[in-house]
Amino acid sequence: MEHQFSPGRGLYAATFAHQGHGCMAILGANGAGKSTLLRIVAGLLRPTRGSLELRIEGRDVAPAARRDVVGYASPELAFYDELTVAENLLFVAEARGLDDREARVRKALDRVGLVPREHDRVAALSSGMKQRLRLAFAVLHEPPVLLLDEPGSHLDEPGRALTESLIVAHRATGLVLLATNDPRETTLADSQLELSRGVGNPS
Amino acid sequence: MPTRNSSSAAVWAILRKECRSEWRTRYGLNAALLFAVTTLTAVSFAVGRLGDRTDVLSALLWIVILFAALSSLSHTFVREVEGHTLTLLRMCAGPTPIAIGKLLFNLLFLGLIEAVTVPLFLVLMGGPPPHWGVFIGILALGSAALATASTLVGAVIAQSRGRGALFAGVSFPLLLPVLAAAVSATRAQWVGAPVTFEIRLLAAITLALLAASLLLYDHLWED
Repeated sequence: MEHQFSPGRGLYAATFAHQGHGCMAILGANGAGKSTLLRIVAGLLRPTRGSLELRIEGRDVAPAARRDVVGYASPELAFYDELTVAENLLFVAEARGLDDREARVRKALDRVGLVPREHDRVAALSSGMKQRLRLAFAVLHEPPVLLLDEPGSHLDEPGRALTESLIVAHRATGLVLLATNDPRETTLADSQLELSRGVGNPS
Repeated sequence: MPTRNSSSAAVWAILRKECRSEWRTRYGLNAALLFAVTTLTAVSFAVGRLGDRTDVLSALLWIVILFAALSSLSHTFVREVEGHTLTLLRMCAGPTPIAIGKLLFNLLFLGLIEAVTVPLFLVLMGGPPPHWGVFIGILALGSAALATASTLVGAVIAQSRGRGALFAGVSFPLLLPVLAAAVSATRAQWVGAPVTFEIRLLAAITLALLAASLLLYDHLWED
């Protein structure tokens, strides 16, 4: 598949398949299309050529329905500054139609170590704390597929360790697509997709 | 995995979120109320009570309502784009529930602005006593049409460059018939003339805008 924003910009001719649980690292230089690929998988972008199929338990998941089965954390993901950490996630849980919302929010915040900041407004969070909140957003509805775009960015050492444990736990039962240029994060992957010179080569 | 992903839950969640955000930031409310109160006070000082000039009263009432609410109505989507929260919203709900949630918020917002503006207008500007049932019906229909049109235009232009200029250009042909019908109906109820035609026209415009919105919303933001 491809997605060209303009000539020379976007994702070029990426071809890959992955079956079952695990973790696939998506590698490539800046501008190679890693984030674009994740946005296509999330259903936020349509490929301008080719297609992407996502099947869960033998059932095709259409792009419009992917938000239910995909957890997405990306540096471009922003939250409502005027709401608190917990209010942002409660809004997400309510909009997704999740049951037992408060318990889910608490569990997600606990997984990323944000419980002590749950009543702080997002505007007051550091960039590292906002990154933790993105991870909490991704795992809130316990999706089978996690799409993580540079998950370790802005994180301190405890935050990175926490992210790694989250990836390791998820890859045992679900799929993690990890867009990264960080060698430490790459070691968590079972397989790699190299996006270079516009061509995706699974290895 | 979600256990229940109904569109109505998303609509309700978005409406509540909009109300909470507006309450915390007063992004549009203060500006709208300031505009309404200062405009009415200034006009009142300049021309005094307009008495039986129902033609001027009707036009002035809708001009104040329109300009007080318009900047905020069009900004419900623009705020998501400028705050970079549109991706979060798209990962939570489909375009139609998002737009309907925002439309309901815009209706509530207009209702609140009118609850302050209209009594103040009647006190400061004078005019014959309105036929309350018809008057409130006209206000409700006019507001529904204004909110539907501005929500639709706001959604369409949100991600475009030069959205300020675009909003004026795109919304003008949609808002003009709404305002013309609302002004005509308001004047007619003041002078005791029949308002059936204008009310039907307002209802038809609102339904047409709503139908067009529901058809278009699912195709919003398809990159």
